Amino acid sequence: MGIFSESIDVDCTPDGQPAELRWRGLSYVVCADPLRWYERRQWWVEESRAPLGSGAGLVDHEIWRVQLKRSPDPRTREAGDAATEPPLTLDLVRHVGSGRWRLLRIHDAAQSRTAEPDEPAQYA
Amino acid sequence: MSFTHLHVSTAFSAHYGVSWPEELAQAAHADGATALACTDRDGLYGTVKHLKACMEAGIDPIVGVDLAVFDDDGDHRTQVAGRVVVLAHGHNNGAGYRALCRLVSDAHARTSGKAGGPVPVAVTRAELASRTLHPETLEPVLTVLIGPDSDVGRAMGGRRYLRPRTLFKRWLDAMPPGTIAAEAVTQLSAPGEPYSTAHAVRMLKLAYEHNVPAVLSNAVRYCAEDGAATADVLESARTLKSLPELSAAPMLQPNGQGWLKSAEQMLELGKEIIGAAGYGAAALGTLLAETEALADTCRIDPVLDMGWKQPLVPEASVIGIGGDPLRELSQRCDAGITRRFPGISGQAKERMRSRLEHELAIIGDLGFASYFLTVAEVSKMITGMGVRSAARGSGASSLVNYLTGISQVDPLQHDLIFERFLSGDRSTLPDIDIDVESAERHKVYRMIFKRFGAERVTLMSMQNGYRARGAVRDAGLALGMDDGDVGEIAKQLWRFSARKFREALVEKPELRDFAGRVEAGRGEQGGMEENEQLDMLVDLTERLDRLPRHISMHPCGVILGDATLLDRTPVQPSGLGLPMSQFDKHDMDPMGMLKLDVLGVRMQSAMAFAVREVIRLHPSKAEVVEAGRHPTGPDGTGPDYIFTDGTIDLNAVPLDDEPTYELIRSTHTLGCFQIESPGQRELVGKMAPRDFNDLIIDISLFRPGPMKSDMVRPFLEHRHGFAPEVYPHPDLKPVLQETHGVTVFHEQILRTFDVMTQCGLAKADEYRRLLGSEAEPEVEAIFRREARARNYPAEVVDKVWGTLKAFGSFGFCKAHGAAFAVPTYQSAWLKAHHPEAFLAGLWEHDPGMYPKRLLMAEARRLGIPILPLDINRSRAEYRVERIEGGPERGKLGIRLSLTGIYGLSGTELKRIVAGQPYDSLADLRARARVSKPNIKRLAQLGAFDALHRDSGGAASRADLVHHLQMLQNRPSRKGIELVEGQLALPLGDVELRNLAPELPEPTMVDNVRAELDLMAVDASGHLMESHRPLLDRLGVTTADKLLGLRNGSEVLVAGVRIATQTPPMRGGRRVVFISIDDGTGCVDTVFFHEAQEQSGPLLFGTRLLLIRGTTRRTGPRGISLSASMAWDLSRPETLPLGQNPAAGVGIPEEFTHPGPLDGISRNLAITGLGS
Repeated sequence: MGIFSESIDVDCTPDGQPAELRWRGLSYVVCADPLRWYERRQWWVEESRAPLGSGAGLVDHEIWRVQLKRSPDPRTREAGDAATEPPLTLDLVRHVGSGRWRLLRIHDAAQSRTAEPDEPAQYA
Repeated sequence: MSFTHLHVSTAFSAHYGVSWPEELAQAAHADGATALACTDRDGLYGTVKHLKACMEAGIDPIVGVDLAVFDDDGDHRTQVAGRVVVLAHGHNNGAGYRALCRLVSDAHARTSGKAGGPVPVAVTRAELASRTLHPETLEPVLTVLIGPDSDVGRAMGGRRYLRPRTLFKRWLDAMPPGTIAAEAVTQLSAPGEPYSTAHAVRMLKLAYEHNVPAVLSNAVRYCAEDGAATADVLESARTLKSLPELSAAPMLQPNGQGWLKSAEQMLELGKEIIGAAGYGAAALGTLLAETEALADTCRIDPVLDMGWKQPLVPEASVIGIGGDPLRELSQRCDAGITRRFPGISGQAKERMRSRLEHELAIIGDLGFASYFLTVAEVSKMITGMGVRSAARGSGASSLVNYLTGISQVDPLQHDLIFERFLSGDRSTLPDIDIDVESAERHKVYRMIFKRFGAERVTLMSMQNGYRARGAVRDAGLALGMDDGDVGEIAKQLWRFSARKFREALVEKPELRDFAGRVEAGRGEQGGMEENEQLDMLVDLTERLDRLPRHISMHPCGVILGDATLLDRTPVQPSGLGLPMSQFDKHDMDPMGMLKLDVLGVRMQSAMAFAVREVIRLHPSKAEVVEAGRHPTGPDGTGPDYIFTDGTIDLNAVPLDDEPTYELIRSTHTLGCFQIESPGQRELVGKMAPRDFNDLIIDISLFRPGPMKSDMVRPFLEHRHGFAPEVYPHPDLKPVLQETHGVTVFHEQILRTFDVMTQCGLAKADEYRRLLGSEAEPEVEAIFRREARARNYPAEVVDKVWGTLKAFGSFGFCKAHGAAFAVPTYQSAWLKAHHPEAFLAGLWEHDPGMYPKRLLMAEARRLGIPILPLDINRSRAEYRVERIEGGPERGKLGIRLSLTGIYGLSGTELKRIVAGQPYDSLADLRARARVSKPNIKRLAQLGAFDALHRDSGGAASRADLVHHLQMLQNRPSRKGIELVEGQLALPLGDVELRNLAPELPEPTMVDNVRAELDLMAVDASGHLMESHRPLLDRLGVTTADKLLGLRNGSEVLVAGVRIATQTPPMRGGRRVVFISIDDGTGCVDTVFFHEAQEQSGPLLFGTRLLLIRGTTRRTGPRGISLSASMAWDLSRPETLPLGQNPAAGVGIPEEFTHPGPLDGISRNLAITGLGS
């Protein structure tokens, strides 16, 4: 068992909040204050080891809920379609140890898109 | 900026907190904090350790507790509504701490003291309210934090806004003004969940709406992130549910954010809450300022608030003295002189006098007179109860203790040094330990409570931490593994700390199979093979290592104080019903508490029992003298220590009885105090003690230190004259002569220092304590300088220093040895003169290291008949009986007891004994009302055989058992009751007489199996007997034949395991000693590294062993075996039976038939090795 999710490229503000990201070839900007929380993991199933000194990120992972708008097209400097699209809400996971980002859930039901599993997440 | 954590659970919050007080205090200090709270759950278990840790870290301690509160709406006795944190205010002369102690005691007052009782540890809101104000000034002394786990916090789920507000107002109504604060906690869990920012915001708003201060905390359970997983496992151990179950419930912590976050991180959390609440920056300042303000109110002064190191002893009036305690003590000592030293005069008197004055001067200087009077009072009280008692330990070095009756050893006779016990250079209260009969211990405790008053006395507790076996069981539970499987793994874990589990996997042969499984479990993830999670099991086991599991009554500690004792320690009911302090032995010295060790010693009970049996059987002096073959003396009436009614005054028996030393030298010392272990039997065989001082030396040598550092061999060589005695200098001859030049005792170290440097004995003891410490080089410099100054040659100084330095890690206090040697001698004396009564006492009180069945085998070896269970003759205890008929007529035998039969309840037992004798089974049923299954069990054990014979029935025991089994299966029918006034006809037992003889008598194997199953002993025959054909075929040598073999002979031995030991060894390599009993005696075997490798899991997992080894002669009467290989006798197919006649031919049936142990699972009672 494991969480299957896409890897995502995220740029953060200096205090560590996501600001922009690239997903499926498109660029997005965060358009509202993101929410952050920590959710527990079934670490006893997902991991095979938990020695003393494993450090942070064994028991929980950091979740960010971000509202996104498409970035304006740099070539035309116009918002184009992006301006009229409703914002997209994504839940992202940041692995505390490695700092890598993955997509966890897509909230926008209208888009009826789902994260397609491409590779298992590695939290070790 | 700095931040103060006000809500922190340490590891002493059993099965909840993860980190030790030292870690937490160091981490807080490193982050710049100036104070830290310890708020353990349900008690002040970690408080004193927290105080110490804070003082060491240089920060202020804050003390409090995390307590459950009863639900005012629910059943007031069983239902709780959340938990709150209660903090004591400081710098108020202890008023806050006092209120906290009493509140914690309130919370426990209704509990039963037994695990899993129906009443939870909790306080009512009214109790809480009543403790929050100073009883006189009415100023607040406690602050209650209403946080996320309170009823208010728990009501915040969903969108209910009214409920939390109602509950919060109830708190406001119930509590005096200024005693509550809201606790805002965000552990950044998912929005809307418990411990989320949203909940913290709501708590904050509630507080501000009602003008109540709010503080920020992180409800800490572990020092750093890494502890979160451990907290999960502890959650599982507490709730007895697996992690998957807890996770589904959901009952686990929401995430892993409950660590001791830094000031910076706490500031971020504060910002997040304030931001989410929509407040401005000023509100953040208020939240943090109110947190620090409460922290300041709660800073504790360890000395003024908690009495740090302030001695607490009973008031003089309580111990019955009006004047100066020292004068009183001196008078009592004078009174003791006539009793202890009748007719003393001349030089001896002067010597004694000057010693007494010397001791009294030191006691006076230290102000400990009332302490000695207190101990003397307890000792006098115990003697007055008619209970045997003896002081143990260095207390035997004191003449004051001897004269006041605390100790039974004359320190002048044995050359014991007072300074080893107490000196002007040490200011901590000395330990005086009193041994009493174990069976009377609880009675003694109750008397101490009565004598000093319940407000001045409490039992001490002890912390029970995880060791390897418990840790692996609970780690397995957390992972949801199969119980049986984990149990099998646990069985193989033998005496190493859980923290070293992974290391042990590589090193220990008995874990080889398990290590292989761990390796195999590491296959590809998600592969076909089911992932066994064994690697995880090892990691979690290591995480649990040493963490406290629960507290329990300390086996001997009693705390005595003055009328304020319960203001200084919280108490809770012990399993015994008497109150028990939440503090353990490490907390006594810091809290200035006087602890008395009143230790129950089973041997004292066994000896008292034996003496009573002797009188019962021989109710006059003449009979006792004859039965015990005691010296009749010149006037032919026997010795003074036997009174006219046959009472033996054991303490008055002279210490030079030759038959006693003969017995000791024979090495048949099973059952004797201190000298029955395999190692001691070997040592007494080599040493052949001739007098009491030899016994003291023997006991002192048999310690890890001397054994490890090879002191024993040179000692024995000098003693037996194989090598000449050597003294480093003639001046030291008087000091070392008694041990033939080998330094054995602490006392000799003290004298060596004193002789060569003239430093005085008090200083010498200080030097001795520094040996092996960091300060040793300083001691060395002083010693060399002073000794050289007194013209000792350099090579002498070198040599003596070498001995002193080596002594740092070992050596024994002679006073301890002398105190121990007294019961050793007394028990051997009883075994030599009254073996039947002595063995009955041993069976009754089970004092030794071996399973009881071995002492039954010892009776058989001594030719003492073991009399079967008999419904009319057996009582609730073992009894010595004179045999009335048959071939053994006139001999003394020991009748088995009805106590300890599996299933038979205490009340049934009482009724049986009260109704004896019975003339029929019907009579037994009617009057003793024994349950059907128990009647059948009694029949299986032969308890009705005599009744059956008398009835004239011809059926077998098997027929009777079968008959009773049938009755048991039939639905119960009301028996025919006798009409009052109608006499039962003395018909004998019609039921037994009419039983049809159909089945043959049960075999010996069947009978022995029933005995092992129901009583854990093999009484009617030795359990190895039935294996004899197999053993003969294997060519096994029996224990009694070993002594006749040459040294170095290779033999096979076989028997049932009776002892397993892994003492620390020179060189650090583990050595395993396994002793087996084959019915003719014990075989003591030793498994060195190679043999352990060969034997693997058999080392600790097998009851019946076949061992191949080589004989090692250890002395004129001693022989042991160096093992090379072991087999499990109960698996005949694995045994070295030689070439089978033909392939495919099975092992003959007579070798494979099930033995008495087959199907019996009572490992601990039978082999001494638990599973």
